[in-house]
Amino acid sequence: MENIVRNISIDRRKFLINSGWLAAGLTVLTSCKGVFAVLPTTANPEIEDGLSWVQLMPDGRIRFLCPRMEMGQGAPLGLSQIVAEELNLEQSQIECVSPASNQSPPFKMTVGSESIALFSEPVSRGAANLREHLRQQAARETALPIGQLKDATGGFDAVGRFIGYGELVPAEVTLLMPEQNDTVAQYFYTRAEARRIVGKSWRSPDLENIVTGKTIYSRDVSLPGMLYGDVIRPPRFDATLVDAKDIGAEAMPGVEAVVIDTSNSLLGVVAKSPLLLADALKRIEPVWRFGNSTASADELEVTRYRARDDFEHTLVDEGNSAANDVISVRSVSANYTTSYMAHAAMEPRAAVAWVTEENVKIWCGCQDPYFIRGRIAALLERDEEEVVVHPLRMGGGFGGRILSQPAEEAALLSARVGRPVGVQWDRETEFQHNYFQPKFSHAIDSGLDAKGKIAYWRHDFVSSPIIFGLVPRGLAPILDTFIADKGTARGARMPYQVGQQRVRYSDIRTEVPTGAWRGLGAAPNTFAIESMMDELAFAIGEDPLTFRLAHLAGAGGHMEPLATVLRRVGDVSGWGRSTPKNRGRGVACAIYKGQTHVAVVADVAIDHGERQVKVLRLWCVQNCGLVVNPDQVENQVLGNLMWGCGMALEEKLTISDGIANERNFDGYNILRHNEAPEAVIKLVKTARAKPLAVGEAAFAPAVAAIANAAFAASGKRPRALPFDYDSLYA
Amino acid sequence: MIDLNGNTVRVEKALYDLSLLDFIRDHALLKGTKYGCGQGLCGACTVHLDGAAQRACQLSMSEVLGRNVTTIEGLSALTDGDGLHPVQQAWITEAVPQCGYCQPGQLMTAAALLSENPVPNDADIRAGMNGNICRCGTYDRIRRAVARAARET
Ligand code: FES
Ligand code: FES
Repeated sequence: MENIVRNISIDRRKFLINSGWLAAGLTVLTSCKGVFAVLPTTANPEIEDGLSWVQLMPDGRIRFLCPRMEMGQGAPLGLSQIVAEELNLEQSQIECVSPASNQSPPFKMTVGSESIALFSEPVSRGAANLREHLRQQAARETALPIGQLKDATGGFDAVGRFIGYGELVPAEVTLLMPEQNDTVAQYFYTRAEARRIVGKSWRSPDLENIVTGKTIYSRDVSLPGMLYGDVIRPPRFDATLVDAKDIGAEAMPGVEAVVIDTSNSLLGVVAKSPLLLADALKRIEPVWRFGNSTASADELEVTRYRARDDFEHTLVDEGNSAANDVISVRSVSANYTTSYMAHAAMEPRAAVAWVTEENVKIWCGCQDPYFIRGRIAALLERDEEEVVVHPLRMGGGFGGRILSQPAEEAALLSARVGRPVGVQWDRETEFQHNYFQPKFSHAIDSGLDAKGKIAYWRHDFVSSPIIFGLVPRGLAPILDTFIADKGTARGARMPYQVGQQRVRYSDIRTEVPTGAWRGLGAAPNTFAIESMMDELAFAIGEDPLTFRLAHLAGAGGHMEPLATVLRRVGDVSGWGRSTPKNRGRGVACAIYKGQTHVAVVADVAIDHGERQVKVLRLWCVQNCGLVVNPDQVENQVLGNLMWGCGMALEEKLTISDGIANERNFDGYNILRHNEAPEAVIKLVKTARAKPLAVGEAAFAPAVAAIANAAFAASGKRPRALPFDYDSLYA
Repeated sequence: MIDLNGNTVRVEKALYDLSLLDFIRDHALLKGTKYGCGQGLCGACTVHLDGAAQRACQLSMSEVLGRNVTTIEGLSALTDGDGLHPVQQAWITEAVPQCGYCQPGQLMTAAALLSENPVPNDADIRAGMNGNICRCGTYDRIRRAVARAARET
């Protein structure tokens, strides 16, 4: 295997130089793919992409340019462990950095719980290639047959002599270009039963910085000579800036610029101190135009669409669809709704932009730095190559940071003044001016046959586009005509064996901006499905867990993994034991993105004295394939379970007069310490499997399990989320 | 004048109306104390004022003149040794943080809670920590870490 390429293209050399690669060192890399400027970066990583992310540094340490953004999910740590597994490294021998947009070819946006599931393979291959190349180098230098160079921590054992990677660093910058389809052993796979690092709970090197307050988030960036900017944002979703009048802002001491840019609908000020901004903005009078042709949020009612039998997309139509022929001895129909919800990440977004003649520099936390780069290049009419995005750790993402609006605002303001400008959203802006999780309106009709099996299942629902929620207004009508939004439908295909099944939906674009939010449609859709499963079980007096298992049997056993987590959650929670009065247990399960199997049991109490519904405890069993870092995965599952409590009992954003009503944590409630239940989390161990989705998987069944437990405790079925004591007993 | 993490810091008259949070972040340039809501609703901005947990966004500079302010950057100095404060150590051992943004506030609240009540039970911890929101949902681990810090000091 001779695979060093010395004549590298300018393009590839550029990424290396940008990542500090000036003298000696070795890296492996290949193809960089282009992306569309105005759409999020969606191409899946190719196996070869991994080669550009792993570098041997002159001091013998390994630098991993992590192609995943950190927002608390811990993916960079897990992927670092995979690099370390391949290269036999101690944690101190690897440095994981988040590359600026000019330090790595574009990589897919960080979404969809796929950071480990999708990137473990290319990362492992890149690292494995580097290791084998170094082994060859060591063989050459020692004149030993390659088989005599055994793996050792941070290098090789050459018949008793240790050769560290540091001794193998070439004198000049070297790139490695492996052959197509090489057969290098990837320990991540081949060591299945004997992995040394994958499967261990490495602690993130960021922990110490976090607990000492040293971690830098977007809000914490400060550059010498930095100015501060803020913007008057539209008073309604449908407002467009037509004109504006400066009635004294520019004249204020300390104000550097007033920017009235109707073509970009931006109205802002730049000042020496952030404290001047609010006053300055009061001295600008905007003129807005209101109205566009999109539907009102009130139209998202499934009954309207059923009345016209009008659904845009049919997700499933299986079995004999002549519905009236189906024999059922017991039918159940119900409608379920979920609310608009906000991401409410603890860090309100912020960004710094510095626009000069030569280039544009952006510092911001974002899930897709290449999308931000493309949007800012288009906004400023600059070449994409001139724009560099420095991504920072995010104080929570949850799908809400595909866009970085403050980066765009700061860029337009900085373009005017030529100095760095920081824009920081306050909490009110964060609640009102991002995009949201759409509300969902479901109707399910189902019927049971004489044996207690589901004869038919007809599920219709209406919501808004999620994956395509962010497309530019001009493009939306075309897309909406031709594309069924898979994000809206996520989780809507239920896992059970039924006689006949039909699932239809419409994704209606309304006045309310909608987009990615943790798990996309999974939690709303699972809530409806798993509530109906519960209703059916109770309709015939069957145990809800047994009822589910009965509908997972057969069909070639392909639902056995789901049945397994269900049975296990039954075991660990002591399912079936009687509960005291006003207490109840509920169960729910789901398959996330067709891969991760999760079952949750909730224990809920009704407190009539305090008029409260309380989640006392949650048990969760999850099979997410190979677990790279159990502690990180458990922390993610914990977060998902807490989100389940929040969505079930707290979270609701309301819209009136074309804008969100909630502005802070007093109107929009998220779960707090005293409401947070204990959680028991069990991961199914599967050494030979691949890693699967984690970051959003347990959320959906948690919501439904809580609703089902509330029914068991109260005899009242929560069909609209969020619910509370008063709505339950209304 | 205030005492900020053991240093005497002058406060100009013009800044008396400023919130302590803005002063800490934009004048003292200590960025560890976080803005989360600006209205006393989330606890991200928690600091110690004469040893007690307070929300920096709800205090004006004129109210804190002459007082001792400790931020997350000064927390470890409250211990005898030169290592981390026991709550910081426990937070690392329990690997509490996800995104980490709420954690400086959580730690400051926890440290003040433990100095008032060195052996809190579960209900004490829940009540004491209730003002600090964690959107990532690390509550269970926070409680474990507070209990560990209590045990290990
Ligand atoms: S920022 Fe002070 S309590 Fe939220
Ligand atoms: S760790 Fe993210 S908000 Fe608490």
